[in-house]
Amino acid sequence: MLNLFRTEWLKLKNYPGFWWIMGITVLSYPGINGMFYFIYKENTANTKTAAQMLKMLLGNPFEFPEVFRTTAFASSLFVVIPAILVIMLITNEYTYKTNRQNVIDGWSRNQFLMAKFLNVVIISLIVIALYIIVTLSIGFSTTGADVKDKFKLAHYTALFSLQAFAQLSFAFLLGLLIKRAFIALGVFIFYKIIVENIGAQLLNKYVLADTGRFLPTESSDLLTPVPAFLGRLDPKVYDHALSLINQQVFITIGYLLIFWGLIFWIYKKRDL
Amino acid sequence: MSILQVQDLKKTYGKIQALKGVSFEIPQGAVFGILGPNGSGKTTMLSIILDVLNADSGTYSWFGEPASPDLRKRIGSLLETPNFYHYLSGVNNLKITNSISGRGDAVAINEVLQKVKLYERRNSKFSSYSLGMKQRLAIAAALLGDPQILVLDEPTNGLDPVGIMEIRELIIELSKKGHTIIMASHLLDEVEKVCTHVAILKLGTLVTSGSVEDVLVDEDIVEGSAADLQQLKAVLSNMPGNTGITVTDLTVQVHFPKGTAKPEEVNRYCFNNGITLQQLAIKKKRLEEKFFELTNN
Repeated sequence: MLNLFRTEWLKLKNYPGFWWIMGITVLSYPGINGMFYFIYKENTANTKTAAQMLKMLLGNPFEFPEVFRTTAFASSLFVVIPAILVIMLITNEYTYKTNRQNVIDGWSRNQFLMAKFLNVVIISLIVIALYIIVTLSIGFSTTGADVKDKFKLAHYTALFSLQAFAQLSFAFLLGLLIKRAFIALGVFIFYKIIVENIGAQLLNKYVLADTGRFLPTESSDLLTPVPAFLGRLDPKVYDHALSLINQQVFITIGYLLIFWGLIFWIYKKRDL
Repeated sequence: MSILQVQDLKKTYGKIQALKGVSFEIPQGAVFGILGPNGSGKTTMLSIILDVLNADSGTYSWFGEPASPDLRKRIGSLLETPNFYHYLSGVNNLKITNSISGRGDAVAINEVLQKVKLYERRNSKFSSYSLGMKQRLAIAAALLGDPQILVLDEPTNGLDPVGIMEIRELIIELSKKGHTIIMASHLLDEVEKVCTHVAILKLGTLVTSGSVEDVLVDEDIVEGSAADLQQLKAVLSNMPGNTGITVTDLTVQVHFPKGTAKPEEVNRYCFNNGITLQQLAIKKKRLEEKFFELTNN
C-alpha cells in the first residue's frame, strides 16, 4: 500500500496541472461558502426594516448548528472541481498509455486501481477537510457563546463526506469508461446537472413517486438538503427530504459498491 | 531451461483472429527474434505475455511458473511505443519505473541514462524529447536494474543509424553476459546480426521457429561460376543428388538436401566434365530471403 502511495506521489508531485486544479479546489470551497456568507451578511447587516425582516425569514444559516447543513449544501454544488482532478488522474494514464506501462513494469491491474482508489480517497479527504475548516471558521466567527447544541448537526460532516466520495467515485468510473478527459468531464456535468435532474422529475411524475432518488448521483445529492430557511418555502416537502436521508445513506453506499465493483471488473476484463 | 513457454495462444479482435494458436519456447540466454509482416500478431503476442491483453485461450509461463506481476518485475520491457508521463523529466519517469518494478536505484537510474546517452537531458521533460530520445528513454527503463530478461518490441524505432548500431551492440553485449532477449523487429538485417533464435508469424500463425541456423538452413546450396555459365548449368543439372539448379547473372547455384552438399565433390565433378570453376562457395540463405519465402511477400 505504501508503495502504491509513493508511486502515485511520484506521478503527481511534479505535475503542474494537478497542482493548479488542486489550488482551484482549495480556493473554491472557502470561496463559494464565503460568497454566500458575505451576501447574507450584507443583506441583513443594516437596520432597515426590510433587512431585519429578511434576517427573521432566513434565521442565521451561518451560525452553529445550521452552518453544518448550509455549507454542506453549498459545498456539494462544487463537486465538479475535484471531479476534474479525479477524471484527469485516470484519463491521463490512458492518454500517455502509462496505465499499460505500470502493468508491464510489475503492477497487477488491481494494484493499479488500488493506487487510483487511494487518489480518490485522498482527494475526497481534502474536500472533506476543506468543508470542515470552512464550516468551523464560519460557525465560530458568527455564533454567539450563548448558542447551545452547536454541534447538533455535525453529522452533516459524515453525510457530506459520503456524498463527496460517492460522486467522485462516479466521476472516476466515467473517466475509466470514456478515457478522454474533456469528454468524461462533459458527460459528468451533463449527466449530473441535466440528465439526473430531469430524469428524477420524470420518474417521480410518470413512473412512481420518489423513484428519482434512486438514480446514481441523485441518491447522494439528497444527503445534503438545502439549508433550513429554503425549506420553509414548503415545510412538508422539506421534512420529507430530511426523513429520507437515512435511506439515502444506504442507497449511496450501495452505489459506491456498484461503482467500485464495476471499476475493478471492467479493468480486469478490458484489454489495456 | 525455458525462460518463456507459450502454449496455443489465441486472440481475436471482433472478427479478426490476431493469434491462431501460437506455441513456442524461448531458451535461457537466447536472443529470440519475433518476425512477421504488419498485422501478423507480433505485438499482440508480446502484449499478452506482458498481461496488457487478455488471451481468449491458451497459456504462457515465465521461468516455468504461471505468469504473475512479481515475475514481470524481473523483466525489462519496451512494448510498441515509449509510454511515459509527458510532464515529467526523464529521470522522474525512471523513478516511477523503479518504484513499481523495484529494479535499480538512484545510481542505476543515472547509469542507464548514461548508457543510452540521455544523461545530459535527464532533467528535461519527456514531452521535449525527440522521437529517438523517447525511444532511448524506453530502452533505459527496460535496462534499469539489469534485468535478466528483456522484451523489446521494435527497439530501434525512431533511432538514427548510429543509434541502431548502438542498440545492436548493446544486445550483443547483454547476450554475452547471459541475458535472454526477446525482440520483435521489422529490420531483418538487424535480427540476423544479433539473434540466436527466431520465430516467424504470419496472419496470427507461427510459420516457423527455432535456432537461426535451423530456420535458415533447410537445404544446402553450392554456388559456382565458370567462363560458360550455360555449360556449367547443363553439367550440374546431371550431377547426382542435386534437387535443383538456379542461374543468376554471374553464378549457378546447385541445391542439395540439407547436410549433403560437398563442395569438393562439386569441384571434382565439374573438372571431370571439362569445366574449370572460377568460384565455388557454400551459400547461406539470408533471413530476408527466408522471411519472404515463408510469408509469401
